[in-house]
Amino acid sequence: MSEPVLEIPEGWEERAVDGWEWATLWEAVEEGDHGYSHDRVQQAIDAGIDPRVILDDGLFPGFNLQGDRFSEQIIFIPEMLITARAMKAGLALIRPLLAANDEKPLGTFIMGTVLGDMHDIGQSIVTIMLENAGFNVINLGTDVHPDKFIETAAEEKADMIGFSALLSTTVYYQKVTIDEFEKAGHRDKVHILIGGAPTTQEWADECGADGWGRDAMEAVKLARRLITDQRGAWA
Amino acid sequence: MKELSPRERFARAVRREPVDRVPVLYRMKAEAKAKLARIYGIEDAGTGRKHNPELELRLGNDAIIYQIGINADFSHRHIDIGETWHNHFGVGYGKSGLEGRTAEEELAFAKTQDFWGPAKIVPENFPNFHPIKSEEDLANYTWPDPADPVMLAPIKELCEKYQDDYYIIVDLSSTLIEAAYAHIVGTQNFFLMTFDKPDLIKKVLDGLTEYYTELGKNAIAMGVDMIRVGDDVGAQQAMMISPDQWRELAKPRFDYMFKEFRKANKDLYIKLHSCGDYSPIIPDMVELGVDLSGLMQPTGGNKDQVGIKRKYGDDLALIGGFDVQNLLPRGQVEAVRNGVLETMKNLATGGGYIFSPSHYILADVPIQNIYTLIEAQREFGTYGKYPLN
Repeated sequence: MSEPVLEIPEGWEERAVDGWEWATLWEAVEEGDHGYSHDRVQQAIDAGIDPRVILDDGLFPGFNLQGDRFSEQIIFIPEMLITARAMKAGLALIRPLLAANDEKPLGTFIMGTVLGDMHDIGQSIVTIMLENAGFNVINLGTDVHPDKFIETAAEEKADMIGFSALLSTTVYYQKVTIDEFEKAGHRDKVHILIGGAPTTQEWADECGADGWGRDAMEAVKLARRLITDQRGAWA
Repeated sequence: MKELSPRERFARAVRREPVDRVPVLYRMKAEAKAKLARIYGIEDAGTGRKHNPELELRLGNDAIIYQIGINADFSHRHIDIGETWHNHFGVGYGKSGLEGRTAEEELAFAKTQDFWGPAKIVPENFPNFHPIKSEEDLANYTWPDPADPVMLAPIKELCEKYQDDYYIIVDLSSTLIEAAYAHIVGTQNFFLMTFDKPDLIKKVLDGLTEYYTELGKNAIAMGVDMIRVGDDVGAQQAMMISPDQWRELAKPRFDYMFKEFRKANKDLYIKLHSCGDYSPIIPDMVELGVDLSGLMQPTGGNKDQVGIKRKYGDDLALIGGFDVQNLLPRGQVEAVRNGVLETMKNLATGGGYIFSPSHYILADVPIQNIYTLIEAQREFGTYGKYPLN
């Protein structure tokens, strides 16, 4: 186990305004102070700093640090959640500005727990991490019927779908839902990721998924990698 | 060694004393139990607070485990589509798997589930209303009655009927952290409130501690042999909360609870269970004087069963460890048999072990795998014979 360190973005001073300081925001995101995160991002906007710069230089360092600590089991779900909430508080202010600058989300990700399964701790953490990483995430909640996944994917022209399942009795529905995408003729238009306690890489291969995340950080890394691989276009 | 009674066998294994063969404890959720009960011609296959142990005893269980905690009602009862059913804690529960279906569709669906192989899907009851979200909710909240005779009377009956021959365990799960997050306040609320409203969380945990301490003492007064406390703080790969946060929130409350239990009966045995990987807090469990601990899911974070046994086997008896996530529901017969052999080699060598799947047997386990499990357990679970010679 290695102790992750804060990666300070190189050249941040040139990209900010004169005399600007990010360290307090890095720390606020790390410690989960969402009030401060909101206020500091607003100050940065008011100071005229580019929203992309605020995101990359201001919000990501503390978030990435905690994400790595989460993967290394140095911090756990409550700490990760408050950090994600602090990042989200800042992100909410700059997202409309990014959109106005014609910056697109990394992709549209439909998330849900499969039919019959009501567990959502894991998938809600992955959702918040994906949102912070730049995805437009539509979370369909728990107990999601395959038809609902397909309808939403078509409506939203989704790039990626995530199926969560906690029980050995419900992981089967990851395969059923993938098969339904196949039958509907949409399988080649989306990347499908699976996760959840009883899932493994072997199961991902067997059920026809494109990837499996061992934990939330791995899922996000996987999504960022796969999104660069273009799938078939939605009509 | 001469053949022991099931009660003696289980008690000795908990005390890490020599036994004739490895004691066993199988637990099943309603659907799996109903499947097997039909084969054995047992009509009453009740689970939860309606638990009838006859089937489990036929399968070879050495102990009877009876659940009275917050999980005992909701997960074992019928809830109609769209209905929210409230338990004695005021927590609401609904049913999954049937979203948007009509009653006819549900019936047609239920018929498709009635076959021997892996079930496709099992509608599951799940909390959908959490009664405490604010100080105000807490101020208006009434904790349930820990002396509720409806809850306690069946324990007395079980003791009278079975205790001469079998070991009696009362299961209080979910007891503390899990009862708070999964039922009383809601999961995400709970995790955020540990930072935003720490006093409220402490008061909820205090309320649960008081309730379960009294409930447990009432069960102990009926003469039960062991109290099982179940509190899920492990996820598949790691703990949900940090070991330090567990030490702050849970450990002192369990310490109080267990001391009260032992004041009521100094010879009481205690099992502390969590799903998932909770290996970082096993030393704390030893400090709390826990007698029996489960094992991590063998597919999860800490797979080192031999290491856990070597490290803690002198301080704790162990139970479980057979993979229910992949091997039992999906393994071929021969793989299941080998899995039992490996589990016995890893964990039963040297004693202090009770054979058990790492959790409930669910509806997706094929009957042939359940039979293989039992057959292999009988074949490989006798001391003095391979692999325990």
